[in-house]
Parts: sequence; structure tokens; C-alpha cells
Amino acid sequence: MSQTKDILVIEDDRDLVNSISIILESKNYDVRVAYNGSEGFEKIEEKIPDLILLDIMMATDTDGFDLAYKLKNSAQFQDIPIVIMTSFLKKVAEDGPDKFQHILGENWPATHFFEKPVDPESLLSTVETIFNDQKSS
Amino acid sequence: MRLGYELVKEQLFFRKELRERLLWFINLRWIVAGLASIGVVFAWALGQQIAFAPIIIVIGVVYLYNIFFFFVWRRLELIKPQQTGHFNFFAHAQISLDLLALYSIIYFTGGILSPILIFVIFHVILAGILLSLISAVLYGVTCILAVGFLDLMQKVSFLPVQPILFHDFLHPHSIDFPSPLVTYIVFSAAMLITVFLVSSVKLSLKEKGRELLYVSKELEDRNSKLTGLYEMVKHMCMSTELQGLMDSATRNAAHIMGVKACSIKLLDDRRKRLRFSSTYGLSEDYLAKGAIDIEKSPINRRIIRGSIYSIGEIGEKDYFQYPEDIRKEGISSMVCLPLRVERSVLGVFCVYSDISHHFNEEDIRFFSLMADLTALTIENLKSEVNKAWFLQKAAHQLRSPLNAIFSMLELLSKNYLGAMSEDQTRTVKRCEKRIQILNKIVNDLLSIGMRRMDQKNIHLKPVDILKVIEPITGFYKAQAKDAGLKIIFEIDDSIPKINATERMVDDLITNLISNAIKYTLSGGSISVVLAKDENGLIRFEVSDSGIGIPEKEMSNLFSEFFRATNAKETAEEGTGLGLVIVKEIVEGLSGSVSVESREGKGTSITCIMPGAQIGLNQDINP
Repeated sequence: MSQTKDILVIEDDRDLVNSISIILESKNYDVRVAYNGSEGFEKIEEKIPDLILLDIMMATDTDGFDLAYKLKNSAQFQDIPIVIMTSFLKKVAEDGPDKFQHILGENWPATHFFEKPVDPESLLSTVETIFNDQKSS
Repeated sequence: MRLGYELVKEQLFFRKELRERLLWFINLRWIVAGLASIGVVFAWALGQQIAFAPIIIVIGVVYLYNIFFFFVWRRLELIKPQQTGHFNFFAHAQISLDLLALYSIIYFTGGILSPILIFVIFHVILAGILLSLISAVLYGVTCILAVGFLDLMQKVSFLPVQPILFHDFLHPHSIDFPSPLVTYIVFSAAMLITVFLVSSVKLSLKEKGRELLYVSKELEDRNSKLTGLYEMVKHMCMSTELQGLMDSATRNAAHIMGVKACSIKLLDDRRKRLRFSSTYGLSEDYLAKGAIDIEKSPINRRIIRGSIYSIGEIGEKDYFQYPEDIRKEGISSMVCLPLRVERSVLGVFCVYSDISHHFNEEDIRFFSLMADLTALTIENLKSEVNKAWFLQKAAHQLRSPLNAIFSMLELLSKNYLGAMSEDQTRTVKRCEKRIQILNKIVNDLLSIGMRRMDQKNIHLKPVDILKVIEPITGFYKAQAKDAGLKIIFEIDDSIPKINATERMVDDLITNLISNAIKYTLSGGSISVVLAKDENGLIRFEVSDSGIGIPEKEMSNLFSEFFRATNAKETAEEGTGLGLVIVKEIVEGLSGSVSVESREGKGTSITCIMPGAQIGLNQDINP
């Protein structure tokens, strides 16, 4: 397994960003961070990451989704795998207002969906699975 | 402008009047002919020297033709479609024959000096009532000429002079007085005055009739509009989602106003654009223009500031950005109103007609009432949705720091930040535990809050319980095994679907099973039964051999945050909300919950709920 993968964490909670970075760096991934959607997009344009870990509610209620859709609609960035992390329980989102209905839609833009708090083992195994799938395909 | 159908309606109204009068005329003739017969007998008894035979013959003829008229009238009633011409002709025939008969009798009772002469005037009055103004004038003039002609014929001895009826009673001292000329002048004047009076009364009555007809039509219209509005509001109040509510408003408004199309445009969050949120009767092409920039649309800007906009003829004023598109759509006139609740404007409500100048002031007033009611129901529903959104966001804000703390504790406890002493690890684990409990409380509160507030917005649909329970049995079996418990699932595969949401079913099942696991000591057993009872109802039962509930605390079981004393001692992670959630879910599904428990022996909680095919309103007697 290549250990020099570049992962971009986009999350507005600095403590959480810090924790995630520590977990990922323990497995020698390169971790870059951004604290909102537009900063995240700048970092992506700077250098295309191998994976994005993305929060939903940041600058706005749908900042993360807006970025994810923007990437999926761009020829240049549409292949970057995205893991969405949110404190919204998935089952809350199911019953929730229209803003979150697209979480369940056919075309929702993420590869994986994580409910916070992020468990270190499952985060690492998800990341590894994504990279392994990429390698094999 | 009066429409064609209004004229037709008016004609029908007056034709009905004519028809009824014709029958009345026939009935009146029986009476008059009867009175004439009596008069003949009376005159004969008084020894009057008049020509009785021809008078009796004339009266006989009147009887005969009245019988004929009666049958003609009945026949006319049956002919469809009824035509005013037939009835008019019939009225003329009756009046003419009557006058002929009357003139014969006048001749045989003394000509111009006959006391019966005055009865001619009644016929002219009848003509005035039944027929047109001109007919009354013509009958009046004809009668005057006929009397003059009769007298002239007698003067030139073309017709023999007849003895005057009751002459000796009326003029006992004179044979020649009053002079026929004076009588003729008085008769003519009386006749002309009568014609004039009858005509003016008739004209005024006809006008009043027309007004009455108009008022009754107006009332009828308004009544049907109000009924429509009532139905519309009733339907909108039952809507649980915004789109359905607005679709119902546009569809009903178009029908009630009798127009081709209707639309609701709502303002976006920044109040800069108007978006077609619901339309009825407008083409895709028309809607393809998309959202309207308020800066570029002076009309919409004015409406949003609270003005009513009404245009009777599209194109007469060049206010529209795309007048061609509007014409192509077949719109000739329109009214647009602000949708507002007190001072806040939500959007614009429009009705479009394919008829120019379709909307009068009354229509606009009515549409304005409709717009206010629609705005109120939209606002009401929106505030429900906003409250739900606020609650979810509040829960999210509470959960975010908890998640961050938990993640950091995980770094410590899983030694990402270096090895810790045993005491340090134990303390961090306790922190994690307390954070988890806090997280659970937030989730339970959110769940209860959402359900209590959002009752009518929850869309129940048939849910397959098996699909919810089967994926989680493995998880609970593993959890029970870890706790040293035996868990048995008895699931009836033929269980019917239930009208619920998957989340409700999931919350119900997980709350009951995790409670049982939490409050059963190692070595105990749990049984989960999902079955159909003898009434076809769904029975979900979770029994355990756990700590049970003290009898004196049973009554508090479904109170918020209540935890039995022995429960607090056994497990720290309870929130005291689990059974509240269970009860509210089951009651939301039109079911009922019952609890049996003995302290130290175990607890059995049974939920009975109707299946989807039974319906939600059926009474349940568990």
C-alpha cells in the first residue's frame, strides 16, 4: 500500500480536524486541512488530493454539499473520492427538511457517509478500503 | 358589457312570466264569461229590451274558444324548446278574440252608449301587461277607432241601432243625453291615459325584474365562490407539505375564479427573486423563463410592496418584459396580488384569463381574500418546517462539541498520543462513557421534540417491519452475548406492513430491546416476539427476566426523565426518555402499549398496532 496518499480534511471544528489529522498521520498519510468549503476548493485547485474528508455544515448549512456537488460537476475534480462526515444522524436526515433529502438521493456526491463521532479504526479502514478499491480498478 | 347568456337568462325569466299570465288570463275568462251569463239573466229579469239571443251566442262562443285556448296552452307548455314567439302570438289571439266578442256585445247593448264600453279598457291593460309597449298602444288606438267606426256605421244606418242596456236606469229623463261625441272623447282620453299609465308601470316593473334577476345572479355567483373558497381552505389546511398546499391553492383558485390559469411565485431567502412555486394551466414554455429578478420587474416590485396589479387588456400598457409570451399563452387579462401575512410578503399570487377585462372590482376583492387565506396557510406550514429545522440544528450544535471531545478522548484512550497509566485510561474511559450518555440524551430529546412538534408533517406509509428488524437482530444478539444474556427472536414472516416511517419502527424496536438488555443481569434471558394476534393486529412484545419495576413506581413509567430506583443502580446510561419515545410512537401509529412487571422477576412490554391494510382509524382493543 502506498503510504504517501494525500488526504484533504475539510471541517470547521479545529479540535476534530486535529484529532483526524493525528489518526491519519499515524498511518503516514499526508494530511492537508481546510476550515470551510471555499478554502477547501482552493486547496484542491492547488493540488488534487487523493481523498477528501468533508463536513457538511460549515460556513453555511450546506457548505459541504455545495462543494461536493461543485466537484462532481467538474470534469477535472469529479473522480476524487469524498467521505462525508456529519453530526446529523442519518436517520434524522431521512425525515428532515428538504435541504437534506439529497443525502438519500440516487446521485448524492459522496463515496462514503460517516456519522460523527468518527471512530479511529473505522475511519482508517474506510480510507484504506477506498484506496485499495482505486488500486484494483 | 352584458354577456349573451345573461340576456338569454333574462328572456327566460320574462317568458316564464308571460306563460303564467296566459293561464291566468284563461282562468279569468271563465269568471268573466260566468259573470256575463249572470248579467244576461239579470238584465232579462229586469225586463231589458235588448237582443238577448246574439249576446248569449257570443258568450257561448267565448266559452268554446276558452276551452280551445286551454288546450292550446297545455300544448304550448309541452313544445320544446319553448319560444317566446308562440306565446306572444297566443296572447294576441286571445286579446283580439276577446275584443271582437266584447265589441259584439257592446253593439248589441247599445253601441257607443253601452255601459259595457268601459270593459274595453281592461283589455288594453291586459295587452300592456302581457305584450310589448307598442302592442298596448296599437290595441288602444285600434279600440278607439273601432268604437268610432261602430258609431259611424250606425249613424250612416249601415248597422241598425240597438237599444241601450239599462238606458232607463242610467238616463231616465233624456233619450239623447249624453251625446255620443262627448262619450267618445271621454272614452278616447281614458283609453290613451290608460295606455300611458300601463306602459310606464310595465317599463318600470320590467326594469325592476331585470335588477332582481341581476342581484339573484350575483348572489348565486358569490355563493358558489364562497363555497369553493371554503372547500379550498379546508383542503389547504389538511395539507402537510408546502408543495401540495400551493398546488391545491392554484388549482382551486383557477376553478373558483373561472379562469384558465393561476400561479404562486414565492420570494427566495434573499428576497431578490421570485420563483414559480406552483402553477396551474400555464405551459412549460411560459415557465421556462425561470425565476424573476425583482430588480428588473417593476410590476412585481410594486406587488411585493403591497399593491394590487390588475390589467384588463394585455398590450394596452407596455409594462411587461415579454408581452409576446403572454399573448402566445392566450392570456388577455390578469390580476396579481401580494401573498402577505400582516406586513411580511411571501410572494405573488396571480390569476390569468383568456378574456379581456375579465375581472371586476368584486372579483379582485374576492381574489384578495383568497390570497390572504392562502398566505396564512403557507406561513403556518412554513413556520412548522422552520421549527423542525431549528430543533435539528440546535441538536447539531449540541452534538458538535460532544463529538470533538469524544474524538479527542479516543485519541487518548487508543494511545495515539502515547501510552497512559491505568488510572489515566480508566478516567478517560469514564469521560467517554459520560459523553455517550449526553449524546444519547440529545438524540432522545431531538426525537421527542421532532415528533411532538411535527405530528402532522410526518408522512406515514406502509413499512415492512421485517426489513427493519432483521438487519439489527445480529447486532443485538452480539450485544446480548457480550452481556452474558440469552436472546430469542420469534418473528412471524407473514406480519402485515404497518403505516409508519422506518425511523419510528426502528426507534420503537431499538428502544425496547436495548432497555431489556440494559436492565437484565448476566445469565438472564430476553424474548422478542413479533406476531399477528387473533384480530389481525401487529403485536410486538419484548420480555426479559431482568430487574423489573417496583410496583409503586409503575405509574411514573411513561413520565419524561423518570428512572426507577433499581434501574439507576443497575445501569447509568439511561436517559429516562426511552419509554416516553416508545409510547408516543405507538400512539402515533394508533396503537397501545401495556407493561407487566414484577420487581426482581422481569418485565414484559407489549405494543399492539394496526397493520397498514386495517387503516389508522379503526379502534383497537388489545
